[in-house]
Amino acid sequence: MIIWLITFFEVKDADFIASDKNKVKNVNLKIEKQGEIITLLGPSGVGKTTVLRTIAGLQKINKGEIYLKGNLLSSDSHHLEPEKRNIALSFQDNSLFPNYRVIENINFGKKRSNGNKYVYEDKDIIKLLHIEPILEKFPHQISAGEAQRVSLARSLMSKPDLLLLDEPFSNIDQNLKDELQNSVKNLLKKINLTTIIVTHDSYEAFSLADKCGIILNQQLKQFDIPYNVHHEPNSIEVAKFLNKGVFVDVKVVSSDCAVHSLKHKELGEIRGKLLNNFSEGSKVKLLLQPEDLIHDDQSSLKLEVVDRKFRGTNFIYTLKTKSGEHLPVFVHSHHIHQHEKAEKFGIKTPIYIDHLVCF
Amino acid sequence: MTKYNFWFFSSFIVAAIVALPILTVFSSFFLETSFYFDLLKKTFLYDYIFNSLTLLIFVLIFTFIIGVASAYFVSFYKFPLSNFFSWALILAFAVPAYIYGFSIIAFFENYGTAFTILTNLFGDFNYNIYIPKPDGLIGSVISISLSLFPYVYILTRSSFLYQSNNYIEVGHNLGLSEKETLLKIILPSARPAIIAGLALVSMECLSDFGTVSFFGVNTLTTGIYNSWLAYDDLNTANQISFVLLLFILVMFSLEIYSRKEARYHQPGRGFKPIQKIKLSGKKSLFVFLFCFTVLFVSFIFPVSQMIYWTLKYPKYFSDINILTINLNTIIVVGISSLILVSISLIINYGNRLSKNKILNYLTNFSISGYAIPGVILAVAFITFFSNLSDLVSENTNFGSTKKIFIGSIFGLILAYFIRFFSLSFNGIKSSYEKINNSIDESAYLLGYSKAKTFSKIHVPYLKNNLILVVVLISLEIIKELPMTMILRPFNFETFATQAYIYASQDLLEAAALPSLFLIGWASILLLFASGYILSKKN
Repeated sequence: MIIWLITFFEVKDADFIASDKNKVKNVNLKIEKQGEIITLLGPSGVGKTTVLRTIAGLQKINKGEIYLKGNLLSSDSHHLEPEKRNIALSFQDNSLFPNYRVIENINFGKKRSNGNKYVYEDKDIIKLLHIEPILEKFPHQISAGEAQRVSLARSLMSKPDLLLLDEPFSNIDQNLKDELQNSVKNLLKKINLTTIIVTHDSYEAFSLADKCGIILNQQLKQFDIPYNVHHEPNSIEVAKFLNKGVFVDVKVVSSDCAVHSLKHKELGEIRGKLLNNFSEGSKVKLLLQPEDLIHDDQSSLKLEVVDRKFRGTNFIYTLKTKSGEHLPVFVHSHHIHQHEKAEKFGIKTPIYIDHLVCF
Repeated sequence: MTKYNFWFFSSFIVAAIVALPILTVFSSFFLETSFYFDLLKKTFLYDYIFNSLTLLIFVLIFTFIIGVASAYFVSFYKFPLSNFFSWALILAFAVPAYIYGFSIIAFFENYGTAFTILTNLFGDFNYNIYIPKPDGLIGSVISISLSLFPYVYILTRSSFLYQSNNYIEVGHNLGLSEKETLLKIILPSARPAIIAGLALVSMECLSDFGTVSFFGVNTLTTGIYNSWLAYDDLNTANQISFVLLLFILVMFSLEIYSRKEARYHQPGRGFKPIQKIKLSGKKSLFVFLFCFTVLFVSFIFPVSQMIYWTLKYPKYFSDINILTINLNTIIVVGISSLILVSISLIINYGNRLSKNKILNYLTNFSISGYAIPGVILAVAFITFFSNLSDLVSENTNFGSTKKIFIGSIFGLILAYFIRFFSLSFNGIKSSYEKINNSIDESAYLLGYSKAKTFSKIHVPYLKNNLILVVVLISLEIIKELPMTMILRPFNFETFATQAYIYASQDLLEAAALPSLFLIGWASILLLFASGYILSKKN
């Protein structure tokens, strides 16, 4: 087994530019070990695909450097042609060669299979990606989801050093999506293939990744393990993009002991661990996520229900404070009773939140 | 990506070669006029313009009526043989207008075929005084209209096929009658296609040489030919070309504009193909008779006339060296179309790779060769290569290079190349544009070089399209007359030139055999390509 003493893949101060609107600037990103899976998450049109295309060598960079296994791929004065990089990119629109059958398309990938050695056989990849029944078909005879899987298989056949996947599961049925995500992740881990996946689906990004990058407003805003990105977003922008909660105005009461304390005008005391340092008395914005507030019919803290949405395993209630803030709260859908609009809804006090995300 | 690579330079050189003679046409407009041109301005020039415009107006009226009506009938109605008519009506394309002209004269002339038929049916009588003589302008209008109406028919029919049944159903739902639906919904939607068809008809009509010269109608085209051949005055020929080109350029712009408009008529989601209405009784009979008459008059009549003559005068089988003419035609058509398609393919790829604006402009300019009539291009071709030869012999030790380009097979093929480059380039481009750029990128990422991507991915994908473009270009070259007449080597005949030479010597019966061969080859090519020509996408 080869142990890399140098960083496996690195982007240093690079600008990825496709157009004035579509660019990501000053990116620094490191993949220390071979076999890591990275996801890049961001809204549509933010430049995620541009990043992939540039890493693959389909676009040049005019600032910064990109290295793979210690070799320089791109800089402002150097550009290694895509066919010489041993990097595979599976496009969102799949880009299968329309005049070749599925099996022939997959075999195109074998031309450059001089990179990684896989423990998997070709036929295992075909089986794992559920392609067997369509091998003899032409691309126009298969569905968009099947085409994506064929494209992925073709990329894997080329045994690249680095695999880039652009929205690989976007056209796949929900039923198959979860199963496929698991199998692909297991496969990538088994063959130790370093992969960068671009997606706009946060669930997909979190479930697949060892590390996740958030691209917003032309910048890589956060690059961390998924747990941290979800629970400890490093900016209001990231928190708002992940759209998992609301910001409420609070005052820092105590910040120098093990458990910190905040005060909200209506919700009262909120305890937990502050992630950032704030002095006592400062007014800050606290991120309240739906799982942070706990329903309690016996509580004296009651808020008005303004909306209720059924989400299968739970309901999301939207509660309104006197000052007009709307707070989301999860309640398990098997909860003994339901609350209608305009009814009062009790919240357990004092409120305790593990991570107090404040800005 | 590197912009200036092998593909860029090879594309640039070819596009420049095609563009140079075309530039000569444009630059010659600014040369001093000769005495002959001044004389012509005072005498026949306005007649030329008047005749050209009269011919154009009547041809447009006829091709509109025949083309749109037959396209409407076969697209919206079911009647006996309607499927047969839908493809058979394009066979008129196989009969060049000048050969149609030979048939008309042969049929209606004194003691011609009509006379023979009447005598056999009703006995001896002087039928000649009752048989109409569609001569001169009338003969030209009929011949050109019946030969060119398929342009309008094909484009209009294709546009009708794109119309969603939903629109027609909405029309009925709003209380429109069948006639109102046609006038208010169907025809306005097909307007860009009809205009594009009519613009193509206009270009072909204005540049027609064989028919008008056969019927003795002096138009701008015959004026160009006569100035050059009869008066040896290239300058005047070029000046008249300027007037003609003005008309052509207007039509060319109209055609391009219409095609752009036509893009908005592509079917989207929810497209519902037209449900054909089954006709019966008088309506069915009328529509059947209309389509049958069009097919009969445009194709069966001239072909029968040629077969009749060929059988009546079998001696021409031995007099005309038909094998040599077949061989000549196959050689020039085969070589020209293969070279055209191969080079167009390379230039398309060069354009795709380099995305260079200069190359793009040059290519766009070089494809304007198709809008320039064969006569003008031939004159420009001679002007350019004569000047080049003079320049070379004055400044170097090389002798005259005229023989290489003028009156040689090489020159003829080069001229075809310039004239039909646009047809070939655009024919391939339309399919090439369907290959998404990410297909190329996928190939690069799988380790394929640009040349390998071209040979392994693009060429196999475009294979069918390339064969069809070869067929369509062959069809055009087989029918081409004026350029071949002017630029062919001495004693080198094709079907078109042999038929025209006999006809211009009043030996129409001798013209029948090469004409019949020409129609035969053209029909085979048309039938081969009919599936593509009539498909919804084209």
